[in-house]
Amino acid sequence: MADDSPLPSQRASALPSQRPGALPGRPEQANLADILERVLDKGIVIAGDIQINLLDIELLTIKLRLIIASVERAQEMGIDWWESDPGLSSGAKSRDSDKLEKENRELRERLERLEQRLEIGQDEQAASGQGGGDGG
Amino acid sequence: MADERLRRWAAERVGELLARAEEEALAEARTLLRDALVEAALEHGEASAPGAGRRDAPLREPPPRERRQPLAQPAAGPIGEAQWLYAVGPGGAGAEPVSITGVADAPVHTVEEGGLTALVSPVPMPEFGGEMLKESLNDLGWLEEVARAHQRVVDEAFERGPVVPLRLCTIYESGDRVRTLLREDGDRFTRLIQSIEGREEWSVKLYVDPERLETEAVAHSGKTAPDPGLGAGGAYLAKRKTDRFTREEGDRLAGAIAEEVHARLQDWASDAVVGRPQNPELSGHSGQMLLNGAYLVESDGSERFGQLVDELQGRYAELGARLEISGPWPPYNFITSDP
Repeated sequence: MADDSPLPSQRASALPSQRPGALPGRPEQANLADILERVLDKGIVIAGDIQINLLDIELLTIKLRLIIASVERAQEMGIDWWESDPGLSSGAKSRDSDKLEKENRELRERLERLEQRLEIGQDEQAASGQGGGDGG
Repeated sequence: MADERLRRWAAERVGELLARAEEEALAEARTLLRDALVEAALEHGEASAPGAGRRDAPLREPPPRERRQPLAQPAAGPIGEAQWLYAVGPGGAGAEPVSITGVADAPVHTVEEGGLTALVSPVPMPEFGGEMLKESLNDLGWLEEVARAHQRVVDEAFERGPVVPLRLCTIYESGDRVRTLLREDGDRFTRLIQSIEGREEWSVKLYVDPERLETEAVAHSGKTAPDPGLGAGGAYLAKRKTDRFTREEGDRLAGAIAEEVHARLQDWASDAVVGRPQNPELSGHSGQMLLNGAYLVESDGSERFGQLVDELQGRYAELGARLEISGPWPPYNFITSDP
């Protein structure tokens, strides 16, 4: 069915699969973020004999490094629906990151205010020094 | 090259990430500890109750106490070979091993039991056990290799029929142990297989070029930007105001597009899951990812789904939005809960 794909241009780059007929190496083209978010976070979890707990601290660090995108900007925009995914966030986690986001935002705002004050001061000095020239 | 990007990105942000990870880990540890205490208390109360065997619910995540034990005893693991499990599908016809090699470049073979087929491949021990495995997983290059190999096998199996993918690093001591799993959890696997039969997962992402979107947003808002003030200071303030106004309008439009696109696709799909926006250093995308959605679609409807994506793309292209579809994926996002 993918043979007469209606969207050849958009499908070209990130296509993990094109049925029927296996094209060896095809999944290599799939973006690593797509693969990792699936194999590390999805898929059924059963207790194997050799247990590696995906919540282990080390692996948790990997997951943070790899999967968590720059969500801050998205959250600013009010896009935060992934927070409702229990696989990705526990109450404690989202509270913690909320706190961090908030703190970051407040710091940035303070910085902006400071910059603003500083620049206005400079502008005014320059303007009065030049006798009211157009400083735009 | 993704690896290179990854390394660079990880190196730049390692401090911040570690701090964050530490906080999360602490929270996690507190939870685990509490659970363990509760469990210990319960167990104490039920000490005389028989049949509290450790394999009574093997499909669920084991309780924290058990989870941690094997990790502390890497030497208890087998020496030689263990079996890496990729996916479980129905048995019988079509249950052939895949043609490609799996993790550790080993040939993939099948283990059949009770009308189910598991895809497995041997992995060397103790490299794939306990502490060594944990260490390897922290090597991003190693992780990428293993993750791709795992996905490759699951993907090829999925081309032949419904399969339930297993999470990375599901490892059994022997083929016999895999058979036991298939026997004991046969019903659950069968239900899961039925729930995804004839369906596939499609990933749809929505990107915008923030600057272009802002321009369009302001043009479409019908509002005028704030008046420029007088003098240099006034002009500066006015510019800040305008910037903020532009950004807010851009955000509003972005949110509206993302919601509309997701709503339309969700309406059409059997099921939908929204993921976090991906890290651009890892995915290599340009612009801003507003939506990272996974949609469960009937296999015979995937063409129509593609057309819908196309249609939405057409509608929002002039606003600087871009949709990207990839698939079909095995339904990773739709087999995590009980059917």
